[in-house]
Amino acid sequence: MSLADEKDPVNIILGVIYLTVLQYRGLIISIVRALFVFGIAACAALPAVATVLAQQDSPPDILISRQLADSVGLAPGAIVRLSATTDGVDARAFRVSGIYEPTPDPMQLGNVRREMRMHLPDLLDITRAPNVPAGAEFVSSVNVALADPTDAAAFARDVNARMPGVLATPSEGGGRSNAPFVVLERFHLAIAIVTIVAATVFLLALTIMLVDERRETVGVLRLIGLPARRILTQVLVEGLLVAGVGAVFGLALSLAFEDLINWFFQRRYDTALVFVQITPTVVATCVAIAVPLGTAAIVAASWALLRRNGLRLARR
Amino acid sequence: MNAFSFAWRSLVRQPARSTLGILGVAAVGALLFDMLLLSNGLVLSMRDLFTGVGFDIRITASDSIMNTGRLIEDAEETAADIAALPSVDTVITLRVAEALFSRPEVRSRYVSFQAAGGGDVRPWTIIEGRQPETARELALNANILRRMDAAVGDTITVRASCSDALEAMPPLTFTIVSLADFPFDSINGATAGVTVAALEEACGGNGGNAADLILVASTPDAGPDAAAAEIAELRGDLYPLTNDAALGQLQAGSFSYFNQISTVLITVTVTFALLLITVLLTVSVNQRLGEIAVLRALGMSRWRVIADVVWESVLIVGLGGVLSLPLGALLAVWLDRILKQMPGVPTDVHFFVYQPEAFTTHALLMLVTAVVAALYPMRVVSSLPIATTLRNEVGA
Repeated sequence: MSLADEKDPVNIILGVIYLTVLQYRGLIISIVRALFVFGIAACAALPAVATVLAQQDSPPDILISRQLADSVGLAPGAIVRLSATTDGVDARAFRVSGIYEPTPDPMQLGNVRREMRMHLPDLLDITRAPNVPAGAEFVSSVNVALADPTDAAAFARDVNARMPGVLATPSEGGGRSNAPFVVLERFHLAIAIVTIVAATVFLLALTIMLVDERRETVGVLRLIGLPARRILTQVLVEGLLVAGVGAVFGLALSLAFEDLINWFFQRRYDTALVFVQITPTVVATCVAIAVPLGTAAIVAASWALLRRNGLRLARR
Repeated sequence: MNAFSFAWRSLVRQPARSTLGILGVAAVGALLFDMLLLSNGLVLSMRDLFTGVGFDIRITASDSIMNTGRLIEDAEETAADIAALPSVDTVITLRVAEALFSRPEVRSRYVSFQAAGGGDVRPWTIIEGRQPETARELALNANILRRMDAAVGDTITVRASCSDALEAMPPLTFTIVSLADFPFDSINGATAGVTVAALEEACGGNGGNAADLILVASTPDAGPDAAAAEIAELRGDLYPLTNDAALGQLQAGSFSYFNQISTVLITVTVTFALLLITVLLTVSVNQRLGEIAVLRALGMSRWRVIADVVWESVLIVGLGGVLSLPLGALLAVWLDRILKQMPGVPTDVHFFVYQPEAFTTHALLMLVTAVVAALYPMRVVSSLPIATTLRNEVGA
């Protein structure tokens, strides 16, 4: 290094810095280390912070029904503005966080379920009247899940007695004899009774004809010595078999139609509601009606025949 | 002896089976008849109800005829604007609130509190007394009069609720000035009719000059469609529905269930009847094969024996079909009574309504059933080998 160089102010400053670094290098290394650690921590925390900030900025989430999504062409992630009034005053932005299939509701049959779900505070915020202070709003209903569902009727009675102005009803509708689907059930039962009566009448006509066809066979059996009771037992067993096979065939037919009917009505009404459901109770009821009825028809039709003389039956 | 007489004698010869066959057809025919009455019954009944009220357009704040809770704001001014349209004859507003009625020593009851404003016409019919005129007068239906143990001229305490359930309106004393019939009342419905001023007072000024519904009667020259179009042009934010459009909406929506179930049951009953009559006729013909072969051998033509089978089928189905009409009428009364237990169904609405088309369709379906059911037995008798059948019969 030349003298001229040694007198250069830049070199002098660099020399001072060099000496300072040498003197305080321990402290400087510590500061750099601390900065390095802080930088790594900041980088790691950045996504989380960004998410929180984004959440603070992004509108509240709502869910929309499949039918609404289809009709207005919405998809998850879309931002919509909602207002409680038709003129759109005080509209607020919401983000569609998902699409849901509405819970099948028989009362909504035929209606296109253009619905959405939102958090209660958000709903209250957009529907609250200007003169209503926050926290003074009301809700239409409160759903209660009991630890023991069989207590529903007693619980409803208790609430009705203790809280005047509040109406509690069991959700099963068992408490209301005129609930729409209780009434429809009665209507279907009435139609079933008429159908059973018609089927019974036809069954009797058919069995009378079938038994008549076997008049000669029965006459011969009587003539060769078979007692009427023995033939009646045979007829009874035959009736049971025919009725049993008929019931099984009928149930198989119903099972085959179950999906078809549900498919048709679910498409017709755009709902996930199940219209026909063949439960073990339904199967048991059908068998309990069909088998004794069929057997009784065959036995009743045969009874008159068995009381006649064997010779007359055999036409000899 | 002609084919008809021959078929008649065949039936009479086997009274038990013939009677049972006819009764079976009667039962199935009755169900078929009822399903035909049900298919359009509700719509026809509602049409009668709508037209009976005297208005042919219903204006709401939403596109659904069902009550969605949305109100028409500035109802009085809106009604006045609509009334000024050349195609409009009469306009009234209707606001429905809820009120708790009480009288000493009688259990309090919640009542549908209806206020009609605008023209002089009211959507209810006075049976006894006069229309409410002042702010403290009301007309009640028979149900609530009976339940409150009250009569025309008595007073009643009213606590109305117009905007939300938290309201605690001061009790007001009203005078019952009439017994009225409200066309859309259900069997157990409790309804009161008042003036708009009465509802406003009962609501403590919270009525807000709003209406649930505006009812419009169009002029005979213009008709409801033209009036609805004018209203829609005047107020694009409202939904004017003619009675036909409202019925169409109901038919496509909640009423369609009954239409669908009637279609399904018509199909099932006709198929059921078809199968059973086919079986009855086939077994009957099979039992008489020898007899038919003899008749053919004696010179009776093939067409003649076919005609016998057709007539036998027509007689069974015809007699059963005729019997099914009174049976169906009785059954309809029973089924209607069951369905009318549904909550909210107006008393004057019926699910099973007589219509000429139902009788025609019933007769046509029964005739088709008779002919189609006879097809297979007709084939059996027409293709009957005479000599072989006779030989088999003699052998047997």
